[in-house]
Amino acid sequence: MSAAPRGQRTAEWLISAACRRLPADVRAERCREWTAELPAILTDESIRSSSQRTLRALAFCVGISKTTRQLSRSWRASSRRARTAQWRSGGLPGRPSDLAVRLARGLVVWLVVVASAIALLVTQLRPQDPHAWPLLLVVALGIGFDGFCVFDIARAADVRYLRKWAWVVICLAQCPLGGILYLSIGRVGPARPVPPTDTRP
Amino acid sequence: MKLTRPLERVLRVLLADPTAEHYGYDLMKATRLPSGTLYPMLARLQQEGLVHSEWEEQRPDAAGRPPRKYYRLTADGARVGRLELAKVPTPPTSTRRVAARPAHQTPRSAL
Repeated sequence: MSAAPRGQRTAEWLISAACRRLPADVRAERCREWTAELPAILTDESIRSSSQRTLRALAFCVGISKTTRQLSRSWRASSRRARTAQWRSGGLPGRPSDLAVRLARGLVVWLVVVASAIALLVTQLRPQDPHAWPLLLVVALGIGFDGFCVFDIARAADVRYLRKWAWVVICLAQCPLGGILYLSIGRVGPARPVPPTDTRP
Repeated sequence: MKLTRPLERVLRVLLADPTAEHYGYDLMKATRLPSGTLYPMLARLQQEGLVHSEWEEQRPDAAGRPPRKYYRLTADGARVGRLELAKVPTPPTSTRRVAARPAHQTPRSAL
């Protein structure tokens, strides 16, 4: 009967590996539940040989792996839905048009910024100027703006629509546009007490 | 909730005695479903409040066996389950086999 304990150990290991997919708050309980089924399988009198019982236990583990995959998928989907609802309700009105308005406002700001930067460079930049202060000014403003955005993302408790790291990448990759997009649609304003009478109709 | 064939089997087994408690392997054998089908279904039923689960108390005669989790229908689950099964006109062959199979172990009320 040396096969049964080894089979049980393997099965326990497989179950605990499968349970790692589950969210932390249910992981231990689920692992305990499924591990507790193993003795019933491994001592099942209706299965004749002990190697068949071990096979049955391993098949059980394969099913558990399938189960945890499915459970973690549905858990992720539901937490994503909850987060979206939270974003929509958090701080700012969640009407769909609100996003479009903010996006348009951000793009207008971006156009103004880029246009003024180009105007500054075209009118003030002299190729023979050894200091080229307009160029330095534009670069310094860009770096400062990116730094401000990244600092703001790092400090924020939550950001909208994307993960924090994704917003950081966007801010750094597209110098003025990314930061402006973050500030216009991705940023969750400072937590204000929501007045009981909503302005929405 | 869509009444699939596996769900129908689980409901038949659970409704055979709505107050009876089953552990996972017991249900697997009674329904002849693999664990990869049964447990996701139990999780869904539990989420919808149709099935209740409970850890068994550690008995002194358990001989070192870890406590198991037992599942049973809630009152809501029994009601919904009966309604769902009533929509199935006649039990197809697979469920008749399932209902007949454990008869030698425990007497079941007529389904």
